[in-house]
Amino acid sequence: MIERIINILILLLFPFLMVGIIKKTKAFWSGRKGVSLLQPLWDFLRLLNKETVYSETTSWIFRFSPVISLATVIFASLFVPLAFGEAIIDVKFAFIIFAYTLGLGKIFSLFSALDTGSSFEGMGASREACFSTIVEPAFFITMATIAALSQNFSFTSFKLICDNAGIYGVLIIALVTFTLLIMLLVESCRVPVDDPTTHLELTMIHEVMILDNSGADLGFITWASAIKMFLFSSLIANLFLPTDLTAFNTVLIFLVLSVLIAIIIGTIESAIARFRMTHVFEFIFIMTLTALLILALVTYKIYGN
Amino acid sequence: MKHLILSILTLVLGAFISLAVKEKFKVKFCTILTFISAILAIVPAGYILKNGQVFQNGLLTLDPLSAIFVIVISFVCFLGTVYANGYLKPYLYKEKAISSHCFFFMMLIASMLAVVTINNGLYFLIAWEIMSLSSFFLVIFEGDKKSVLKAGIKYLIYMHLSVIFLIAMFAILSNATGSLAFSDYAKILSENPQIANIAFLLGFIGFSIKAGFVPFHNWLPDAHPAAPTHVSGLMSGVMIKMGIYGVLRLLYFIVTPSKTISYTVLAIAVISALYGVLYAITQKDIKRLLACSSIENIAIIGIGIGVGMLGLAYNNTLVATFGLTGAILHFINHAIFKNLLFFSVGSVYLKTHTRDTELLGGLIKSMPYTALMFIVGSVAICGLPPFNGFISEILIYAGMLLGLPNADIGLFISLIISVASLALIGTMAILCFSKAGGITFLGNARSEKASNVKNDVGLTMKIPMGILAGLALLIGFFPQFAIATAIIPASMFINNPNFIEEIGAILGFAQYLSGLFIIFALILTCVMGLRFAISRKSKVHNTWGCGYNKPNSQMQYTASSYANLFVSTVEPLFKKVSHIKKPKDFFPKEAYYELEMEDIEEAYIVKPILDMDEKLLSKFERIQNGNMQQYILFGLVFLIISIIGLVLIG
Repeated sequence: MIERIINILILLLFPFLMVGIIKKTKAFWSGRKGVSLLQPLWDFLRLLNKETVYSETTSWIFRFSPVISLATVIFASLFVPLAFGEAIIDVKFAFIIFAYTLGLGKIFSLFSALDTGSSFEGMGASREACFSTIVEPAFFITMATIAALSQNFSFTSFKLICDNAGIYGVLIIALVTFTLLIMLLVESCRVPVDDPTTHLELTMIHEVMILDNSGADLGFITWASAIKMFLFSSLIANLFLPTDLTAFNTVLIFLVLSVLIAIIIGTIESAIARFRMTHVFEFIFIMTLTALLILALVTYKIYGN
Repeated sequence: MKHLILSILTLVLGAFISLAVKEKFKVKFCTILTFISAILAIVPAGYILKNGQVFQNGLLTLDPLSAIFVIVISFVCFLGTVYANGYLKPYLYKEKAISSHCFFFMMLIASMLAVVTINNGLYFLIAWEIMSLSSFFLVIFEGDKKSVLKAGIKYLIYMHLSVIFLIAMFAILSNATGSLAFSDYAKILSENPQIANIAFLLGFIGFSIKAGFVPFHNWLPDAHPAAPTHVSGLMSGVMIKMGIYGVLRLLYFIVTPSKTISYTVLAIAVISALYGVLYAITQKDIKRLLACSSIENIAIIGIGIGVGMLGLAYNNTLVATFGLTGAILHFINHAIFKNLLFFSVGSVYLKTHTRDTELLGGLIKSMPYTALMFIVGSVAICGLPPFNGFISEILIYAGMLLGLPNADIGLFISLIISVASLALIGTMAILCFSKAGGITFLGNARSEKASNVKNDVGLTMKIPMGILAGLALLIGFFPQFAIATAIIPASMFINNPNFIEEIGAILGFAQYLSGLFIIFALILTCVMGLRFAISRKSKVHNTWGCGYNKPNSQMQYTASSYANLFVSTVEPLFKKVSHIKKPKDFFPKEAYYELEMEDIEEAYIVKPILDMDEKLLSKFERIQNGNMQQYILFGLVFLIISIIGLVLIG
């Protein structure tokens, strides 16, 4: 029980810190001092206190969408292995429920973007919907092959990979990490796919969809997307989480790994410029390729001899 | 059993009596009779599903598989007639059309009930033919429009192609058994794999023309938009699934399908689903879009059947159970949400008189109820939790994933590819329905047709939609009941003593899902409560236009532009047809650019064949020129040739 409570606290609060670390890393690489690590949290609290402005075109969908975004992300996080290497609810076929729940949030954010009747937000929605058609199949291939390899259908199965795949396990884990990292960059709209800090609406993807959101609504959306990023990062972190430690040490290592991933993301964002929209496709297709490589490797491992 | 016969008789007699009823009361009469017959049919079917028995009475057999179809047919048709009360109101002046509509509507229901219960090859074909014909007459309700008539005739031709294959199949089976009874077919199909393969192949082609599997899907996107909306809903929600019924019935007789056939079914289903949803994304006509998405959903049922067949072929009961239960549940689910979507689109059509999404928009303000219903339907059809589509899709996923351990390499790779395809289908469906719902109901009205709508539709149209939406949510939230129902017909296919364990596994899983959704509802309530608790004052302003303060509705993203990014990445799969009129002179008056996406099968296969056909047949025009003297001459020439022939041979 106490583990679950700690998990939930980490889930709700750590994402802000993670965004802070990414910002700090970016500041470091560009030679700035940067804002404090907890600035995203203060920003969020400030947003909650601000008044909201609604476009006259919008309907209840627009007001409902931030709520459902946050609710779906929190619900999806119940199935992801977090700090203790275990999910809050361990369920079979977790990755399907995870992906489809996030899909529910996505369709409402698409609806809400179209609800404003703005030309920019429709553009963002179109891009978001289009890119996720490339991301999801790759994610499913990766997860299904790993499930087959470890003979276990929940997310927690990751630690079984090495036991079941021997020397190939290292390679498979490397590829899975790479795939999930790209997915993280795409799904939580980081550079080089999308730039949350850009000033030009025409080049954005996810950020342009929330142009009209303000106040607490915007706060909810930023919170939800921070949690979403944290979920993907904890999926990656759990690949490397040792299983034979005490609970306290596991949490410690998990947090260190999460910070490390945040620093890596910050470094990637500082090192690579945003891709042109056509190149984003190619970038996301790398995910499909690595997913197919994982499939090939696992197939070879299982049926090779 | 007597109830079922009575129900069919009610419909057939009612159809004839309806001819004599006054025009004003015709649709109401129709509704009452469908209600009576629905009750009469659902009672025995429900009894059979509950107790897992089989009733037989002469020509009719009612087993769990038939029962589930009987229930869905009766229920959906009843809702359809209720909806028709509102929908047909503006058409009541067309007396002949209404009259034939009522007649054929009841005949269609009766024939569908007959198709799923008859146990004799010949009578099956007769019922099948009545079903095709009566639906043809329903399609051409607005037959004075040329496009409607054309679509109707296309439909008729495809249906008769289907019948040819079915006749061939029954001919082979009857030849081998010397009988027309299904029970004899079952014997030979389960004992003789060679005949089983040939019969299944022929039957599968015939049935998949009806069901709309690629490459036999071509009639679907034309026929559905042409028909009145409740008929489209009926056709897409129920009638095309008679094809699925046929496939399942054949599978039931065969018992253990061969591996090759199972792989073929899975492959065709996967391709159809991808093709259907891709094609749906490109559509601007919203009813066409729904028709294309029917191809996709029928194919998802097909994927479930394919997975189930692989389970049977590899003797993996768990996979077979999950696959077939998923398929049957998706059949029920699709009947629910596709009708919901068609009904809400019909309401839009009734109010705006257009089906072109590019002309719609902003309807959520004038038609809030319909918009909500469409959004519920969209979320359900994309297979998103906590609605019913998710339940059937996750069962099919589960079937695939459970087949992975201990699979051979071919099965392993094809299952993984199917999993990925189903994921791809799901995300494409999100793209498709966010477009359909978003452009039609959200934003600002794109034309006067949409902005002139004052109020929502009437109660007779709202209630059926509400019932369907409620069902979609109910099955989603408490899947254990729906799954417990769907598993009974699925269990007919499985001969395994350990089967009870598998049922336990599947029901336990369903219960678990139900628990999860209740947690989801709690989280959603909490988040919503939090949002209300911290809500500060708000104000209204116009949409942010990058500093531009006078946006108009033409500046919104359109359906085509929304889909364009995706469509351009898969472009070779479509034939782009554009109509352009460029602006001319210094003060251009008129200019337009219209883009249409044509189905490649239609453009490169069907059309060339039809053109060739026409070219060939036009050569005979010279013979048939209406000149009596020449016709007599033909007769004379024929006689002379036959006499000479006789002399030479004799």
